[in-house]
Amino acid sequence: MKKLKMVNNIRAQLIDLTPVLQSQGRRRSLSFKLFLALCLNLVIAPTVLAATGGTISRVNAYAIGLLGLVTVGLAIYLMMVMLQPERF
Amino acid sequence: MTLSSSSATTPHPPSKGPRSSRQHTAKVDTTGLYSRAIRESFAKLDPRIMIRNPVMFVVWVGTIITALTAVDPNLFGSTPGRDQHFYNFLITVILFFTVVFANFAEAVAEGRGKAQADALRATRSDTTARRLSPNGSVQEVSSTNLRKGDLVQVIAGDLIPADGEVVNGIASVDESAITGESAPVLKEPGTDISSSVTGGTRILSDELTIRVTADPGQGFIDRMIALVEGAERTKTPNEIALTVLLAALTLIFLVVVAILPLIANYRGNPVSIATLISLLVALIPTTIGGLLSAIGIAGMDRVAQFNVIATSGRAVEACGDVNTLILDKTGTITLGNRLAEEFIPVNGHSEKELAQAALAASVFDQTPEGKSIVVLANRLGATVDFDESKAEGIEFTAKTRMSGTNLPNAVQVRKGAVEAVKGFVRSRSGSIPPELEQAYERVSRLGGTPLAVCKEGDIYGIIYLKDIVKPGIHERFDQMRRMGIRTIMLTGDNRITASVIAEEAGVDDFIAEATPEDKMRVIQAEQAQNKIVAMTGDGTNDAPALAQANVGVAMNSGTQAAKEAANMVDLDSDPTKLIDIVTIGKQLLITRGALTTFSIANDISKYFAIIPAIFAAAGLSSLNIMALASPQSAVLSALIFNALIIPALIPLALKGVKFRPLTADQLLRRNVYIYGVGGIIAPFFGIKIIDMIVAAVGLA
Repeated sequence: MKKLKMVNNIRAQLIDLTPVLQSQGRRRSLSFKLFLALCLNLVIAPTVLAATGGTISRVNAYAIGLLGLVTVGLAIYLMMVMLQPERF
Repeated sequence: MTLSSSSATTPHPPSKGPRSSRQHTAKVDTTGLYSRAIRESFAKLDPRIMIRNPVMFVVWVGTIITALTAVDPNLFGSTPGRDQHFYNFLITVILFFTVVFANFAEAVAEGRGKAQADALRATRSDTTARRLSPNGSVQEVSSTNLRKGDLVQVIAGDLIPADGEVVNGIASVDESAITGESAPVLKEPGTDISSSVTGGTRILSDELTIRVTADPGQGFIDRMIALVEGAERTKTPNEIALTVLLAALTLIFLVVVAILPLIANYRGNPVSIATLISLLVALIPTTIGGLLSAIGIAGMDRVAQFNVIATSGRAVEACGDVNTLILDKTGTITLGNRLAEEFIPVNGHSEKELAQAALAASVFDQTPEGKSIVVLANRLGATVDFDESKAEGIEFTAKTRMSGTNLPNAVQVRKGAVEAVKGFVRSRSGSIPPELEQAYERVSRLGGTPLAVCKEGDIYGIIYLKDIVKPGIHERFDQMRRMGIRTIMLTGDNRITASVIAEEAGVDDFIAEATPEDKMRVIQAEQAQNKIVAMTGDGTNDAPALAQANVGVAMNSGTQAAKEAANMVDLDSDPTKLIDIVTIGKQLLITRGALTTFSIANDISKYFAIIPAIFAAAGLSSLNIMALASPQSAVLSALIFNALIIPALIPLALKGVKFRPLTADQLLRRNVYIYGVGGIIAPFFGIKIIDMIVAAVGLA
């Protein structure tokens, strides 16, 4: 019962936070995206570490995770250039 | 030129001397251009600027990543090879300079435009203007307070405070500030070619009353500054298409390089991240990516050096695609200063009688043709035998195609196009003598313009106006034909004269006895066949056709309406320049195509340099046909070549590939041979030489 209340509480807080994040995302688009990338890397880096079977260090895993995100970001950027070239 | 001016009796702008002497206006100061460009090339490293160039942005991101690996070579896991700090540092430095060199190319091109803008800005100083109030009083105000529609008075020595139309007075104006041409230009009201004045130019004699046609900041010079500075520069359709192609190639190579580590690790030949980034940079078309915007800006600059202001890069580029050129005869194909050569009397009149009638018809005609008729008539002993103050001058119009005088005794004397004069005579129950047709044909077959002269219903004869085809124009039209451009001559002259001039000049087609509406009709007919049409014009009646044409070049001496409708303005008011502008447009497209071919061909040899070297352990060493010293030296050599080729090609990008009058197919073949095959071979030698130097100094 107590656990459920805590989950509901967190969910309510997240819902309250959503408009703030959205407005921040619009206002500080680049820094917000970088922050999101770092957050996403919190998921990717452990996956990389697990996939390599411990042959690389935790720092390497986070660096590779970020490098992967940069590569994907560049690919998305290049796709956008191809689809909306007049914006660039 | 207006059609009316190509007809019998309208004025022409003064001759301005050989164009070669005015091609490059000396007023542009390029001192410190390169030091400014170096500063700018570092300022352009701002990611918000870099992101506009997809190829160089990828290199820029790669530089940051290699810089991190220079600090910690094992950041992305342990990597094989010794002295990785130094090796990664070298790669970082080379990639950094690749980006800086690309920015430098763009900054140099922009700097030249800015120098041009500075020169123009110097002409736009605030001045005190004498504004005329509706009650006639004069009020002194700053030129920045003038508004469209205001009337201002300018007297000798004054700077003209704003763009406008002359409504009263006749004066000579020094327009050298914008045209570079020192000869003053006569300005007077009511004419298509000399009634508009530009703010910043100086009145040298007499005084003018001017109606302001532009608000502050919206004048002609303001617009020119914004354009040459690149403030309004948007990508042209060809640039957009090329950007898409470059982005697609970059994306493909990014995906390939991103997959390579998986294959390399599987083959037990791990490759460092710095080397992979080097491979990516070597494979993507950095040469054209770095020079693309510089080529476009330089194209605009080349047009500006010809004293032509383009309203957009799109207009310059459209010149390169032009299929049809529509040209006026007078002033463009012929010298334009037609002079009376002979009087041919008919209907039983003597030469002296004809001279007397021609003098009476021309006494109020201030055009060069009219004045030459007066001179010839005086030479034959004709004198004015009426009170000029009681006579009325009748001006030429494109509609009547006649001019003349209403004498004090109510007799009307006219001269003009033969058909128009015939109509005038018939309307007065006169008869047309049979020898008129013979005289008309004789003059026409000589390529001259026949002007008939009549007094009321009595035809006196024909004036032979001699017109001379410009020297070298036939060769220019031959060049145009070889480039696949069709030339059409429009003239108010009769069919026989038009055909003689057309044959002599070598135009592909002509339209005789053309009216201003014919220009529009011809343009629309050509465009209906998917042709790109270019034309020149200067009169208000040309404005719709200038707007309709894909490339409309207005003469600076023309009306405001013509200048606003056109997408280019020729400051020298030289209609022949349309041919030069088309050449510049073609040169722009050829340069872009040549450097793109070179850039993509380069990648092939770089592929042969890097891939065998870095995958030697995987059995690809047999592909190392260049026998490069080591994998590290191979990567460094390829990157150094890649970086150095950008500044090496800056002069070519700015100056443009030498123009040759060939068809599109011939040009393509030539480009493939020179820039395609050359682009493959050159890096083999370049990379090998750099590799030997790198190995000799012990960098790798």
